[in-house]
Formats: sequence, C-alpha cells, structure tokens
Amino acid sequence: MLELMSQAPSPITPGTYFGWGDVMIQSGNLVVIIAMLVLFVLALVLPFPGGRSRK
Amino acid sequence: MSRIPSPMSWRKGDDIASRPWRGRIRDYDLFKELTIGVVVVGLLVLGLSAIFSSPDDPGVTLKSWAAAAPSDFVATATAELGGTSGTAGYGPPYNSTPDASQHLGFFNPQELSGVRLPVDTANDFVINPLKTLPTPPAALATWSAATADQQTKWTADYTTALSAAPNGDPARVANGNYGPVPALTSALLGMAASGNLDGVLQNSGQPYNLDYTPTILFLGDGNYFPDLATTAHLTGDQWGVMNETGNTPGQSWLWLFSLLYQIEAYKSSPNADILVVATMLVLSLLLTLLPFIPGLRSIPRKIPVHRLIWKDYYGKR
Repeated sequence: MLELMSQAPSPITPGTYFGWGDVMIQSGNLVVIIAMLVLFVLALVLPFPGGRSRK
Repeated sequence: MSRIPSPMSWRKGDDIASRPWRGRIRDYDLFKELTIGVVVVGLLVLGLSAIFSSPDDPGVTLKSWAAAAPSDFVATATAELGGTSGTAGYGPPYNSTPDASQHLGFFNPQELSGVRLPVDTANDFVINPLKTLPTPPAALATWSAATADQQTKWTADYTTALSAAPNGDPARVANGNYGPVPALTSALLGMAASGNLDGVLQNSGQPYNLDYTPTILFLGDGNYFPDLATTAHLTGDQWGVMNETGNTPGQSWLWLFSLLYQIEAYKSSPNADILVVATMLVLSLLLTLLPFIPGLRSIPRKIPVHRLIWKDYYGKR
C-alpha cells in the first residue's frame, strides 16, 4: 500500500522557467524585468508629459 | 473689534477666498464620471485579477504528505520520537537545546525570548495524538514504560534501519529490536493518511484554529516539504532571485535578504539569519539617513540619470 500511495503527484506547480547556461529565470519574473527596463528606456527617451509647453 | 490677519496668512490683504472665479468654467457630470469610473475600474480589476491573481496552490497537509511520501513521513515521525529532528534541536522558542540559538556577539535575542512555545516533539507530535485514537495502539504502553535510554536506542536503531532499507520503505526494514517504534510510527502514518493528525495537531481548543505551528514544524522536519520547495524553485538559492509558485512574479522586495545568504561569511555562518537581519538593519538605516551622509548623498550629482529623465526641465536651466 505504501508504494501505491507514493505515486501521488506533486501538489505545487513549478511554472515555466527559461535557462541560458547557469542563468535560470521564471517567466513571471522575466516579464516584470523586461517591463521595468522598457519603462526605464521610455522614461529616458520620451518627453515628460506637458513638459514642452510648460514655461 | 475686527480680527487682523497674521502677516504670514494666505488671506493677507487681498481676501482671495471670497473673490469670484474669473477663469474658465467647464461642465462636470458627476454621474457620468461615477459610472465610467465604476465600470472601467471594475473591468480593469476583474481583467487584471484574472491575469495576475495570486497563486492558489492547494495547501500541503500531513494527510497529503502521508499519501505522497509515506516513507519520509515514517522516518520523520521516528526522528520526532527520538528527539533528533530539526524542531527537537532548534532551541528557543520551542525548547532549550544548548548552543542551538543564533547570536551576534553577546546579543542573543533567541535566548532572550525564552521557551515561549514549548514543543516536546515525541509527546506533542506522536504520543499524545495517538492517545486520541478510539483504540490507541498497545505499543504506547511499552513506550511509556521504557527508560529514556531504551527509547533513544530503539529510535536510533530504527532510523539506521530505515536509511538502509530500499527507498527507506518501512515494510522492507531489516529485522531487529526496534521496540514499539515501528508500531507507533505506522499508527501515526495511518492517522495522518486519514486526515486525523492534521485535526489533532491543530486543535487549539478554540472554535477556529489559526495556529498551524505544530503542523508546519512537523512538515519542515521531513524531506517531502523542502523537496516540494526545491521542485518549485522556491528555496531562494539563486543569488537574490525570488520565485513564486506557478508563473506569478516573485517577492522582489526580499531579493537583498536572499542574496546575502549566497555570500560567504553569511553562507557558512551558523548565525547567518541574525547576521543577515543585522546587515539589512544597517543598510535600511543608511537609506533612511541618506540625505545626511556626505558622499552617498552626492551620487545623483556624479551620476545624473535624473537629468536624462527630466531633460526638458534641466535643459532650460
């Protein structure tokens, strides 16, 4: 009976992971990091809203 | 006698508050704004929560542990009986194991707290729960009648035999004198598999129990629970990367805590926890007092990233 019971699946879903060599990252974290980088670049490139008309 | 406005008052002289508005006037529909606000915000909340809701994995219980890894459960129950588990040797607040607490020099907050939640693993996790069964196993009497030395020998021998058995399977343990230990651990396994043990360990005597400490300590002493964390990449051993179950983003605010545990001096120290917390306290103090610290407060002047973001403003200065 013990052996039969030990076939139960793991209750936790590990999620999707991407790996390049030693680097491994979870998809949710990757999305957050990319979003942060995109927002940072946009903040550098785009003019501040209303900034051009302000005196 | 009329009141004279203070020289610092915004009312000074021109009485600006009582003057009629001469600027532009726009129509404003409160109901329209309220409707749009509720509908748009409501849809956003529903949509975003459908996409980004927090993970909802089923909780790990003693019942699920007994079903998924019975051999590990029996090995852990034996360690709880013999007082050799992680909880049994943790020190305060569960017991007074000597030299078990973490300290920073003479500062030892774990000892200062004292044994506030006493846990006797043999009695609290194994013997007392078995006594609540409708027909408690006869092995309980044998265990209680034995000397402490005899109990230790039984559990030590059974632990050794379990580790030597194929897959740690209690059914394939070599013959030996393990006293009542196999009967007790097997009865506890049956109790856990039926879900009774969760209820008994969490029975605080109150109508609603919110204290899961005994269950979590018992789970943490085995290999099944930590192995689940490893499978789900939740052990925080990736240089500060914090993960969550599923694809939910991790707890990024904990990255620095996690990172410090990967660096030597912290990594191999028996006082790693208190060292990490102390370091974080110092770093938090530095952050709080940043405007008063020469050198650190001048970093934005030397690396003027903010001038790139607010380039319109700084370009006109």
